[in-house]
Amino acid sequence: MILAGMRLRGAINGLRRAPARVTVGVLLLSGVFVGVLTMTRRGVRFLDAFPGIGGIAGAVEQRSLEALFTVLMVAVAFSVLTGAVATLYGSEDLPFLLSLPVNPVRVFSLKVVETYITSALLPALFTIPVLVGLGVEKHAPAGYYLIAVAALLALYALPVALGAAAALLLMRVAPAGRAKEVATAASVAIAAGLVVGMRALRPERLRHLTPAQFEQALTRFADLHVGWLPSAWGSDAVWRALRGHVSVAALVLAVVSVAVLAGVARIAALAYRAGWFRSLDARGGRGVVGVLPAALWERPLARLGPAGGVVVKDLRLLARDPSQWSQLLVLLALAGVYFISTASLATEVQRFRDVVGALNLIFLGFLLGGVGIRTTFPLVSLEGEGLWLLRTGPLRARHIVAAKFYGALPVMVALGGGLGVAVAGRLGVSPVLALATPLAGACAGVAVTGLGVGLGAAFPRFDAASPSEIPLSLGGLIYMALSLAYAVVTTLLFAYPTYRSLRAPGTFQWGSAEGLALLAAVLMVTVLWTLVPLAFGSARLARFESGIG
Amino acid sequence: MIVVDSVVKTYGRVRAVDDVSFTVPRGRVVALLGPNGAGKSTTIKAITGLLRPTAGRVSVGGFDLERAPLRAKALLGYVPDRPYLYQKLTGRELLRFLGRLRRVKDAERKAEAWLERFGLQRSANELIETYSHGMRQKLTFAAALLHQPQALVIDEPMVGLDPRAARDVRALMRSSADEGGAVLLTTHSMDVAEAVADAVLLLDHGRLKAMGSMAELRQRVGRREASLEAIFLQLTEEAGSQTRQDGAAA
Repeated sequence: MILAGMRLRGAINGLRRAPARVTVGVLLLSGVFVGVLTMTRRGVRFLDAFPGIGGIAGAVEQRSLEALFTVLMVAVAFSVLTGAVATLYGSEDLPFLLSLPVNPVRVFSLKVVETYITSALLPALFTIPVLVGLGVEKHAPAGYYLIAVAALLALYALPVALGAAAALLLMRVAPAGRAKEVATAASVAIAAGLVVGMRALRPERLRHLTPAQFEQALTRFADLHVGWLPSAWGSDAVWRALRGHVSVAALVLAVVSVAVLAGVARIAALAYRAGWFRSLDARGGRGVVGVLPAALWERPLARLGPAGGVVVKDLRLLARDPSQWSQLLVLLALAGVYFISTASLATEVQRFRDVVGALNLIFLGFLLGGVGIRTTFPLVSLEGEGLWLLRTGPLRARHIVAAKFYGALPVMVALGGGLGVAVAGRLGVSPVLALATPLAGACAGVAVTGLGVGLGAAFPRFDAASPSEIPLSLGGLIYMALSLAYAVVTTLLFAYPTYRSLRAPGTFQWGSAEGLALLAAVLMVTVLWTLVPLAFGSARLARFESGIG
Repeated sequence: MIVVDSVVKTYGRVRAVDDVSFTVPRGRVVALLGPNGAGKSTTIKAITGLLRPTAGRVSVGGFDLERAPLRAKALLGYVPDRPYLYQKLTGRELLRFLGRLRRVKDAERKAEAWLERFGLQRSANELIETYSHGMRQKLTFAAALLHQPQALVIDEPMVGLDPRAARDVRALMRSSADEGGAVLLTTHSMDVAEAVADAVLLLDHGRLKAMGSMAELRQRVGRREASLEAIFLQLTEEAGSQTRQDGAAA
């Protein structure tokens, strides 16, 4: 209790120091709470009143809750792996806590609770308004809310325990000192694979079912057999609580959850020492002696001066840091989902192809915006505490920002342009759009790089624990808004030639005066979206003072 | 070589550095001393361009850090108290990167020379994340000296160094000054300051309380045989009493 009290006090003190951030966080959470609550209530009302659904409405709702539990449990399981390695082995306070005259099992119980909070808090906060909405709509007794929240907390304890156990196993089998990297890479690869896999199932095929087939599918979905999946126990416990009953499943869930968490804490206390020795073994190094010259690939970049040197350094760090290169897997997954989704819209009718192709321009912009938030926006912040090396050198802030921009630009332009070519080819759009799509992709690549690097420099987070945390800021929100705005503006510009080619095919030419004027407009917008954020970011970074050196 | 002129740095209502002026001439080692929170690191960061003074000027080699930051920084070498180095680079790669950043001629040869001098050649191909604290400190020195700076600014130089490396660093600071460079160091080790510094600056509560050679400081406290530690304690105690009296009067 003393240990937990100490951690709680630390957390409260941290919150007191940033009242503005706490206020914004509370407001955001309240907004999400109200939004999810309202949507749940409307959803339940809609299902209950849906004509023809009859007696299976409740079963469909219960199954939907079970599906929600399953999805969020999977999300917790994926996020917990890296968090558990960091908390159970990498916490800075761990050596201090273990030096105290306290049973190590208690210390690791605290660490397991910390792992639980960091991994499951957000999914729990998202699920609670769903349960409250359900309770309100079904006029549940007061005890329901207590049982439902307890069932929820017990449910998320299972993936936390599973992830923590996997982390302990990883510490035993992963290359010494590399468990965190392996965990990060594995989590991202599995998550990215799942997203692409689920998209490849093409759920839109459900649209082609006949009403009879759809009803059959719905009945199968609503078949209420409480299986062995904990999410089924959870939804069963919630549903019985709605009627004022405490189910056996709820009790089993609670007992199992507490038992597995306690078990993991006990195992962690035993396994810590072995993992510690393995990490010491890793300090042996790679054993390569002698002067290793600069690699061939870095020599031309190095000739570009200090900016080239920064690019070489960034590429080396990217290749060696799984928390960085795993972001590229996310990028590939997004690109895969986008291509599969767009390709499924291919049709025989040329005019419809062009309409889809024109709409695709905005999706391409959105996609690149989404990619940029994970790749270009964090670039300056990734310098982290190493920024002092750049800032004390003969380098202006704008040189740092430019180096980051030039480093990311080829990748983003190749991605945007390449996807543009691939999608235009797959859809079989008319020649006007066949040029517009890759051009829009390449221009979006440039703009998103400028916007991401510039706003990332203006709103840096040098203290972020991982690259995925960096965009969670005001700068990240502004970036998303402006990248969406760019996609809308350029799509509107490309709408005219699309309209012309639909109305009178063959009358619009990119080489004509109006075509060139449109191209100039697109280029101007792109230059504006690129240079203004870069200049803004450079100016803000030049004034940045805290947390360096 | 390093001129700090009426520098003020405020954080909100707190004056971390309050109208501080001093000079570190060529050929001299100057120690900047003071209790915790005296404003030493803030002063150092203002000199290295990591912080912008609220008022006042800093120049290095005649180049104003605000107006000609690149020329001023080109003359500076800096060793911070907690040097963060890119963990996923090797020691050799870090020096190569800094050589490119500072456009150092013949950087490869110079880097090898520094690696050898600090005994890091055998581990130069290992990732920095595998280095001990002392090895990182040595690598930071190599990084700061790679471009042969004319002014060296060192924040707590001896932290984590083994006795041999500590001795080497002391000799290095001395030789750097003897070759015409200017060295400014902050330290809590009075022995180090007394051994290598030609002059001492005493900072307390953001203000410069005393400056001069050991002889001048001894004269000021009126004790001929006083050690630097005794002088430090006496002057900071006087300053503390004065602050308490001012507080009581207010």
